[in-house]
Amino acid sequence: MVFGMLAGFTAAKSDVLLSEDEIAQTLLHGPWPIEYGKDPSNRVSGNLEAIAFGKALFSDPILSRDENMSCASCHDPEYGFSDALPRAVGQKLLDRNTPSLMNLRSHRWFGWAGGTDNIWAQSIDPILNIDEMGHDAESLRSAIAGSTYPQTYGKLFGDISKHAPEDVLVNISKALAAYQETLRTGQTSFDRFRNALEAGDLTTAGTYSDSAQRGLQLFIGRGNCAFCHSGPAFTNGEFHDAGVPYFITETRVDEGRFGGLKAIKQNPFTLAGDYSDDPEKTGAWAVNQVRFQHSDFGTFRVPGLRGATKTAPYMHNGSLKDLAAVVDHYNAINMERLHVDGEAILQPLGLSPQEKNDLIAFLESLSDDGS
Amino acid sequence: MIIRLIAALTLLGSVSAHSEELQIFDAHLHYSHDAALQIPTEQVVKILRDAGVKKALVSSSDDDGTQKLKAAAPDIVVPALRPYKRRGAISTWMNDLNVIDYLEDRLSQFEYEAIGEFHAYGDDINTKVIQRLIELAKERNLLLHHHGDRAAVDLIFDAWPEARVLWAHSGFAGPDEVADTLETYPKLWADLAYRSDMANAEGVDPDWEKLFMKYPDRFMVGSDTFAPERWYYVGVHADFSRSWLSDLPDDIARKIAFENAVAMIAAK
Repeated sequence: MVFGMLAGFTAAKSDVLLSEDEIAQTLLHGPWPIEYGKDPSNRVSGNLEAIAFGKALFSDPILSRDENMSCASCHDPEYGFSDALPRAVGQKLLDRNTPSLMNLRSHRWFGWAGGTDNIWAQSIDPILNIDEMGHDAESLRSAIAGSTYPQTYGKLFGDISKHAPEDVLVNISKALAAYQETLRTGQTSFDRFRNALEAGDLTTAGTYSDSAQRGLQLFIGRGNCAFCHSGPAFTNGEFHDAGVPYFITETRVDEGRFGGLKAIKQNPFTLAGDYSDDPEKTGAWAVNQVRFQHSDFGTFRVPGLRGATKTAPYMHNGSLKDLAAVVDHYNAINMERLHVDGEAILQPLGLSPQEKNDLIAFLESLSDDGS
Repeated sequence: MIIRLIAALTLLGSVSAHSEELQIFDAHLHYSHDAALQIPTEQVVKILRDAGVKKALVSSSDDDGTQKLKAAAPDIVVPALRPYKRRGAISTWMNDLNVIDYLEDRLSQFEYEAIGEFHAYGDDINTKVIQRLIELAKERNLLLHHHGDRAAVDLIFDAWPEARVLWAHSGFAGPDEVADTLETYPKLWADLAYRSDMANAEGVDPDWEKLFMKYPDRFMVGSDTFAPERWYYVGVHADFSRSWLSDLPDDIARKIAFENAVAMIAAK
């Protein structure tokens, strides 16, 4: 019905540059935002008190053993809950770029390597990591029990003094998750364009800049970007080799998804595990079914693109300083690095300077929500 | 089997406790120009020895990497000559007449057991460059390590019916097509590099297992170091191979892990 309404669109309105097929592809990137509902694996998901508790914890250094850093130390709201550094700095320089925490509910796997399959488990990782916040479950329980939080904790989860350390760890992480679920990007000029196309509102659609439209055409067309950056969140949520080197030092490499799979297969905090609050184990099929492949080594999760202008530098190691560098990377991608039967989708784009600017204009239109 | 697979995954980058149990002939390795720049040759040799890789069919873009590695580990390296100097020429090299001069020059300077790994599909085989490549291999009775489809395999054997051909990645074909191709060409072998479909958490795939039992002398393992970082996967791959091969009878496991590749090289 929508497509029928839009027949002859380009002829009728010169301000809309897209063909019918391109419009159909554009509609697949919305509507936005998506309402996900409560996370069934987290019994305090959507609970306002838990959200407030999680927000307080997020900025509280009590979650680090030495009380010298909080979640917000790396996940700074000013940078889309990232940190503007190439690689994160915890107790030392870490191996990867700090991923944004925006739109987490759109993920199936978490972190660059997908070592977890839910938000609360992903929150556990930095708390326990010796190079980040450095707690163990026992020290975390002691810290929380000795703080001003036991009453709030008690209202949400019960008497902390009666909880095993691992249960406190999970509960604290579920409060953090409840807060992080609320970190969502809003509607952007792209969404207004997309929604106008869907509604057949040519006037509103025509206000989306020609440059962004041309960039969108490249994104869904010749650039094939939408092959991986698909759907409303602009990610397929899976893992790919984007031709980015993954040496960490001269003698150490980042295993990427291969390491993530090793981690998740040994992780007790998955949707399939006992710590999930969902008796139906919704979504556990993924961790139960996922299979190791040789191509997993050195691949990383495709990030969503909403809010991307705030989260530079880019890629798993922060090696590309801005969106122009990212476009340049794909424009002249080093085919030497890619297996001929692996990422066959990737080819040097050969974009002109104008086309590169157009693609950047489109990407920027995914971030102008004012958040 | 599940436990063994997880155990294999856990052993990334470490020396395997199983290294001495099953010797590995890695039939698909590259030490190309970027790897040679980033990973010292002695480090590569250490990776191979730590992984229990006793022999390796090595080809590189450019060939200097193979020569360096052969000089450093002559007991391990079985040299193959790749016909192009950069991997980026994978889809164009067969139309570059300079490749002929490069091949003739390298073959006159160094000893090789194979030409390859070269990428060619269908009619690519009929180009002047690849026909000359086949002639050069025939003159020296060298193995051809070919990456491509069944149509290309057919054309290689059309040009040289007595050729010994190692089909890289088993052509990324399914078990039925691999079986038919092996049946058609008795001097075709197949490497399993960059394939994960022959074994999973439930064990060896039944269709592949039938194939291994029917053609126990024709398969071999390989890890395919197509990017420099993948050298740090060689040990993991060796352990992965030992893991799934342990589901097969011991004699067939030994053949696929090592003996078939040795026999293929010797079958001149």
